[in-house]
Amino acid sequence: MTDMRAKFIEHALGIILVTLLMVVTLFLFEKRDTVVHERRYAGIKKLLDVPIVTINDPFERALLADCMDLYYPGRHDANAVLISELVRFKEDEFNKSLQSSYRTKRLSIATLGEIAGMYVKFLLIYLIVMALTYYGVQTLGSLRFILKQQRRQNSLFGRRRPFFLIGAARSAVKTLAYAVLFSPAYVIAYSIRTEFNTDSAFFMILLGVVSNGLLIMYMNKFYAFLVAESRKGYVENALVKNLRSDYTLSGPEGISLRSVFSPVKRFSGHVFDHIFRNARFQYLSTIKEQASFLITGLIIIEMALNIHGHLTYELLRQLLYKNYPLVVVIMLAIFYTVKLTEITTDILVHRESRRYENR
Amino acid sequence: MKTGRPAGAGLLSAKDGRWLCFWIGALIALGIWDHLFLNRPAFERIINGFINTVFIALLSVVFTLAMAWVITLAFHRLGSANNRSGFYVLSFFLNLIRSIPQIVGVLFGYIGIAALVTAGMLPGKAAIFLLMSICMSGFIMPEVIDLLRERIDHYVKLDFFNALRVCGVSQWRIINFDILWKNSRIHILNKLISVFGSAVFLQCSVDFIISVGLSSDVNAVTLPTTLGSLLAKMDSKQDILAIGNTLTNPAYLPQLFFQHLQGLTVASLIVITLLAVYQISCGYAERHRL
Repeated sequence: MTDMRAKFIEHALGIILVTLLMVVTLFLFEKRDTVVHERRYAGIKKLLDVPIVTINDPFERALLADCMDLYYPGRHDANAVLISELVRFKEDEFNKSLQSSYRTKRLSIATLGEIAGMYVKFLLIYLIVMALTYYGVQTLGSLRFILKQQRRQNSLFGRRRPFFLIGAARSAVKTLAYAVLFSPAYVIAYSIRTEFNTDSAFFMILLGVVSNGLLIMYMNKFYAFLVAESRKGYVENALVKNLRSDYTLSGPEGISLRSVFSPVKRFSGHVFDHIFRNARFQYLSTIKEQASFLITGLIIIEMALNIHGHLTYELLRQLLYKNYPLVVVIMLAIFYTVKLTEITTDILVHRESRRYENR
Repeated sequence: MKTGRPAGAGLLSAKDGRWLCFWIGALIALGIWDHLFLNRPAFERIINGFINTVFIALLSVVFTLAMAWVITLAFHRLGSANNRSGFYVLSFFLNLIRSIPQIVGVLFGYIGIAALVTAGMLPGKAAIFLLMSICMSGFIMPEVIDLLRERIDHYVKLDFFNALRVCGVSQWRIINFDILWKNSRIHILNKLISVFGSAVFLQCSVDFIISVGLSSDVNAVTLPTTLGSLLAKMDSKQDILAIGNTLTNPAYLPQLFFQHLQGLTVASLIVITLLAVYQISCGYAERHRL
């Protein structure tokens, strides 16, 4: 319990520290912009509110010059300089508003609402991809392990190996599948972009699962856990106690394909049930790392494919337009997502370990 | 005793050796094909991009190892000196780095480097390479630190640690030489192979994102050419888009290998490198039963 409390305190401290750091950064950005602006036009600060409607109108400029000479008599040249600076300032402001009206975005309730909508979309996609990879990793890892055990049993009983050409074709297909699974998302997306709309949420989920090596790497990790567990002493013990150990995918002694593909996997009466449960316990602790990698993958997909209206594409856009307060807010949202996943994983691992340690 | 095995048989009998040969073979084959059919400037750009990518990734491996080693020793020192607050502070900051998605960290690091280059504060290419790899190492090193700490913790519990201490061997020699070098270098090397793969992946992805999304802000001239930035070029992207065209028009396939070589080569280099490095790492782990 103390261990769990320490973890919670660490997470809370991390969240507080990063939030503070980001708020300070936000404040500094806001302040810097104001200071730069004020310093640049310090000389004409008093005159900024002077209402000039048409800055290039010679009559208005002459009128302003006369007013200035009346208010500050005996300094005509200095007044002329001030007026030309004021006109330049008004021109700058006008041009800037024309050029960057679509770029500049201030932090407001409306903008925050917009970002919140994108964040919810990001979270939904993240949760779906996480659930799919969690299922995919365990299913494919189990399937690979079972097939390997089948091959081992076949070789023990002297069954024939497949014909060389079939073996070679199988290897070629496997290598091709591996190449797709290891491709970065942008390579896959651009390869099929002319035929499919890759900007949809469906494609984002699909790319999130199959690309960037996420599924294949964690599937192999889970498979390695299964192999390590199968070598442990308790497996021999279970065999002595007459648990089933046939790895064929049919028949009463084997493992049913349905249980392999089921979301909640149970292999009652089979030694694989124990191997699987112990491997899953080890896999749980790697979910933090997997989640971070998954978020990296989703960010790559959104940014590299320029998917409009999505959170991290917006991050890139605001970075480009130098709207740093918005960048800070989006960064915080991403950080909170990672932290939330870490806390959830810690709770899950803690619960599982309590069950295993009979506490 | 001579075994009579043909030269190279040892290399090909192991999975990692086979994949190393596949990687090198694929690189050579791509090189020959491009030499024959790709225009000279594009071919030179690809060679330059590939060398830069591999060089930065290798530098990242070196920096990752160095940083991880130093931090692991700091952890051990703080732990053995019962300096709990120091230990927790270090662990807290390491976990904080872990909570930042690598791509975000490296992206902001690269933007910072580009700003330094634009301000004229980074004199040469070497300094840019160094900073880029240090930036990447900072976000990859936690996994290496985990491995090193795990190895030390495992061996410190065994009798030989105390036995060596009783014999008067210094703790630093036991940690650095007996545990990490003599008993863990295979594990470390295996980890470093996957660090190399991660570095290539991050490097290409960040460069692609920067070139696609921040091209007007972070100029392509400010950062060195890599496979990622090459893939983001308009002509490369069109080459990749042509692959989609062959899905509905298979007769177009042969033209891919002659008319769309630049993008196809860059994409192949990235995918083949990532796949081969991963398989080499897996094969190495299997061969040494890690």
